[in-house]
Amino acid sequence: MARYGQPIVSWISCSNYNQNRYCSSPNALLRKFHKQGDDPYEKKLLLSACLALVIAAPAFAANPQPDEKLADNQNLNYWLLDAIKTKDPQLNSAVEGSDVARQLFEGLYNQNYAGELVPGVATDYEVSEDQTVYTFHLRPEAKWSNGEPVTAEDFVFAWQRLADPATGSTYAWYEELMNVKNASAIVAGEVDPSELGVKAVDDHTFEVTLGSPIPYFIKMTTHTSTFPVNRAVVEEFGDQWTLPENMVGNGAYKLVEDKLGQDLTLERNENYWDNDNTVIETIHFQAINDKNAALTRYLAGELDRIELPSGQFPRLKEEYPDQTHAVPRSCTYAYLFNVSEKGPEALKDVRVRKALSYALNRDIIVDNITRGGQKPAYSWTYYATADFQPPVTDYSQWSQEERNEKAVELLKEAGYDKSNPLELTLSYNTSDDHKKIAIAAQQFWKAIGVNVTLNNTEWKVYLDNLKNYNFDIGRYAWCGDYDEASTYLDYFRSGGMNYGGFDDPDYDAVMKASLTAEDPSADYDKAEQILAEEMPLAPIYFYSTPVMVPADVKGLPVDNVLQNWYAKDIYRVAD
Amino acid sequence: MPPQVLANINAKYGLDQALWKQLLDYVWGIVSRFDFGPSFVYPDQTVNSIIAQGFPVTLTYGLLSAIVAVLIGVTLGVVAAVRHNSWIDSLAVGISVGAQVLPNFVMAPILVLVFTLWLRWLPGGGWEGLGHPAYMVMPVIALSTSYMASIARITRSSMLEVLNSNHIRTAKAKGLPMRRVVMRHALKPSLLPVISYLGPAFVGMITGSVVIDMYFSTGGIGKFFVESALNRDYAVMMGITILLGALTIAFNLFVDILYAWIDPKIRY
Amino acid sequence: MLIERQKMESLSEALADRVEKGRSPWADARVRFFRNRQAVIGLCLLIFVLAFAGFGPLIARWPIDEIDFMVMGDIVRDGAPSLANGHYFGTDDLGRDLFARTVLGTQISLAVGLIGAAIAVIVGTIYGAVSGFLGGRVDNVMMRTVDILLAIPYMFVLILLLVMFGRSVVLLFVGIGLLSWLDMSRIVRGQTLSLKGREYVEAARATGVASSTIIRRHIVPNLLGVVIVYATLLVPGMILSESFISFLGLGVQEPLTSLGALISEGAATMNYGTLWQLIFPLFFFIVTLFSFFFWATVCAMH
Repeated sequence: MARYGQPIVSWISCSNYNQNRYCSSPNALLRKFHKQGDDPYEKKLLLSACLALVIAAPAFAANPQPDEKLADNQNLNYWLLDAIKTKDPQLNSAVEGSDVARQLFEGLYNQNYAGELVPGVATDYEVSEDQTVYTFHLRPEAKWSNGEPVTAEDFVFAWQRLADPATGSTYAWYEELMNVKNASAIVAGEVDPSELGVKAVDDHTFEVTLGSPIPYFIKMTTHTSTFPVNRAVVEEFGDQWTLPENMVGNGAYKLVEDKLGQDLTLERNENYWDNDNTVIETIHFQAINDKNAALTRYLAGELDRIELPSGQFPRLKEEYPDQTHAVPRSCTYAYLFNVSEKGPEALKDVRVRKALSYALNRDIIVDNITRGGQKPAYSWTYYATADFQPPVTDYSQWSQEERNEKAVELLKEAGYDKSNPLELTLSYNTSDDHKKIAIAAQQFWKAIGVNVTLNNTEWKVYLDNLKNYNFDIGRYAWCGDYDEASTYLDYFRSGGMNYGGFDDPDYDAVMKASLTAEDPSADYDKAEQILAEEMPLAPIYFYSTPVMVPADVKGLPVDNVLQNWYAKDIYRVAD
Repeated sequence: MPPQVLANINAKYGLDQALWKQLLDYVWGIVSRFDFGPSFVYPDQTVNSIIAQGFPVTLTYGLLSAIVAVLIGVTLGVVAAVRHNSWIDSLAVGISVGAQVLPNFVMAPILVLVFTLWLRWLPGGGWEGLGHPAYMVMPVIALSTSYMASIARITRSSMLEVLNSNHIRTAKAKGLPMRRVVMRHALKPSLLPVISYLGPAFVGMITGSVVIDMYFSTGGIGKFFVESALNRDYAVMMGITILLGALTIAFNLFVDILYAWIDPKIRY
Repeated sequence: MLIERQKMESLSEALADRVEKGRSPWADARVRFFRNRQAVIGLCLLIFVLAFAGFGPLIARWPIDEIDFMVMGDIVRDGAPSLANGHYFGTDDLGRDLFARTVLGTQISLAVGLIGAAIAVIVGTIYGAVSGFLGGRVDNVMMRTVDILLAIPYMFVLILLLVMFGRSVVLLFVGIGLLSWLDMSRIVRGQTLSLKGREYVEAARATGVASSTIIRRHIVPNLLGVVIVYATLLVPGMILSESFISFLGLGVQEPLTSLGALISEGAATMNYGTLWQLIFPLFFFIVTLFSFFFWATVCAMH
């Protein structure tokens, strides 16, 4: 695996961090603890073991190696494809918005370069016997950028705000996923937000009560929608509280300038509790709408991190081997089949869905089109999700010729062939990369006698079409909100986002069982097999983000499949 | 999205009201407070604040481009006309036709490659305000070139016409030096068609600013327009359309006045 | 594209005068035409482009949308122009034959230009002729309407239309045409006003011929000269407009393409060693525009 930035501190007993997925990371320990059996002693032991680990963890910050000399220039220019829509952690629903919010605010837990949990505002936590009450101890030295202390009350306010329908957050459902007590009722407007299962025991003790235990709750606290916001500021300025002149945050950086649509400037926050260990002085988030233009400007030295246009990775890797990396990213690219009432008749036939999925030559797509370290996907959950064993689906074992033969056969059984071709529309949101894949898919399907018309619309319109089941086959990608398989598999529950309208009682049952299972792996595997059997989607590839980063920038995450990064961990070295 | 959340969002933007009420509120907001409403996409921005940020940028490089286009275009046209049928003339015609057919979305990346990547003379994008001319060079070149070409062609042909007219021939016959003839007598009348071209040209430049904003990250109004149209940010879309309409009218008026000033024969 | 309105108006006057002389302007024009080098070049270029668009499909060895899986793995190395594998102009980034696509793009760009211009001509001529012929208050209202419509930034309206009603070729053609009839109607009206005073029109009116018949039989045929010249000037403008729309991704949709779309794709990747993806479409784009510009200049001269 490519890596950039030095491994900063190896505070778990893994000498080679490339292998740390197999080491007993604190995550794995936490997880074991939740799954362990009934012996209270064993539980206790594990609890203290993991707490000790968490407490012993040094504050995770920019931490240059002894042989590295810091550069005089500690500015970071980070590329954004588009201006971010909002800096409000509760309103944000975009990946790029999270990248900004993660610098301006800090939640209970952070992640390190490898995606492991490290303390943020919370120093440690305890959990009740029945695993429904979490008590977080907040660090007393945490301050807002205006100098006031960050208190448990701020978290209570933010968490209530996320669920409150009056906030109008499109990520309110995240709190439902977290299973916080009463979250669903509040989101539905049935219960007052003050009834949410969160409580400030004292200024530095934050207590969360869950409706029912979920094993991966702690992991979910790294998501930006759970970050605290300053009540006084939000209430005083309303929607305008995120403007540079008003904003107060608790992150390592504060907002100093917002030139809408071109440049967002962040500077070090002197009041941040770990400011002494922060190295980067200024971050510019620069919006450049064109990946090719961004690449040119990167090569001219104007940017410090870009994503590469599709297909350019191999060439640049050869030319700039120490700057070009393909970073795994927890997202899966797929074509959803509309199997709802409103979907086309043909797609209600599982044989047709299978034929369409089989006929897609994923190897060509990843090797010849995207060319940036993506992996062909024959299942839904991202392959490198923590504690997840990728399923072996039947068709992943066949050769493409076999798949194509099978596809033609299935189509014939379903009553379609070259003389009676199947006509469908493939929709995607406007983007060069999606267009290329769609054009290739069109060709693959043409080969088995399916005529597909392409239809592209802008993201917002596209999403409306998906939500209203107004499509035949739709491009979709899902990115993990947290590093656990359920973030993917929940999608196809009958109550999940599930834009294709997939409704399968067996699947729901398996997913329900997984919540309380000792070890959910078996259930997850079953769920994946159901997806392969019913084929409500054609998985295409697992993401990898081909990026370029100058060799002197250290500390951007490599192994963190969520690609969450914290500028406070980054530093530049002198040549 | 949960229905309750959706309902609240709709209420916030007044979308739960009857259509006529929404329209009335919108118009009244503009008339009474000059308020075009909130942006649907950026929660902390209003249409007014978006325009206030983007419009000065567009106006700055738009006006600069107009000035550059007129200065160079007129010079090129005059030189070509005065040296009619010489190699200078052919060169000028060649340049102007060539410049006119090269779309600015081809020129912009070429400029960035040459000046930013290869020569490292200019920043590849961004906008730092009036004090930083380096950021303006490429936007102005990319935007003004095709208009410069048109202006050169118009100037050349109208100059040729004027130079063949009686009063110029008289002036020449009297032995006035060519330079003086052109500057004192021929230039003003031959600028008339250029001026009437300026109105639509300026509007065209604002349209072309979309490309500039996208390639050079200048943060101007053009990008916001396209973005708002694509994202269905109706309030911003309407606000910018109204602004541009008003601007068109204002500019046409300005051109008419200029016209009357140059050509006293014209009466309205 | 913006037109030199001033010049057009003086030109229309000149043409109107010629009509009165009753000579055969065609014979005269033909003689002068072939003496003019520009005109001959323009004509040759136009024939070249038309031939390319017309006969290109016969020469192309690949269909427009087929991906050549042999070359798509490494376009820089295998996708270059080659006679051996039939990709005369190389391939695009996906391994589709650029020759076939350039031919298609040229056809579509020409179609946008010609159909758009035709729509502008039809609507503009009728509107202008009616307005000019009826005169008085009707004329006033109709022309003020045009003034108002002229204040609307038309490219923006077109973008809105394409976004709102989806991207369709028909809307693109009609939109580009409908949004540029305004100048046309002004010119036609001015021309009609001068024709209206002519003896034969007065005569027709005196003998009780209906207005619609007079417009159809006398006014419109006499407008043809100026209309054709103006329409020729419109074509390159329309092609440029279409290329801009394609740049925004709102133009014709895959697998169809236009020169504008090909150029904007080629321009995006010009630094990646696949320069042919820009050069070939750009060449035909420029040649097409040149031919119409020359043609229009020449028409205007005569």
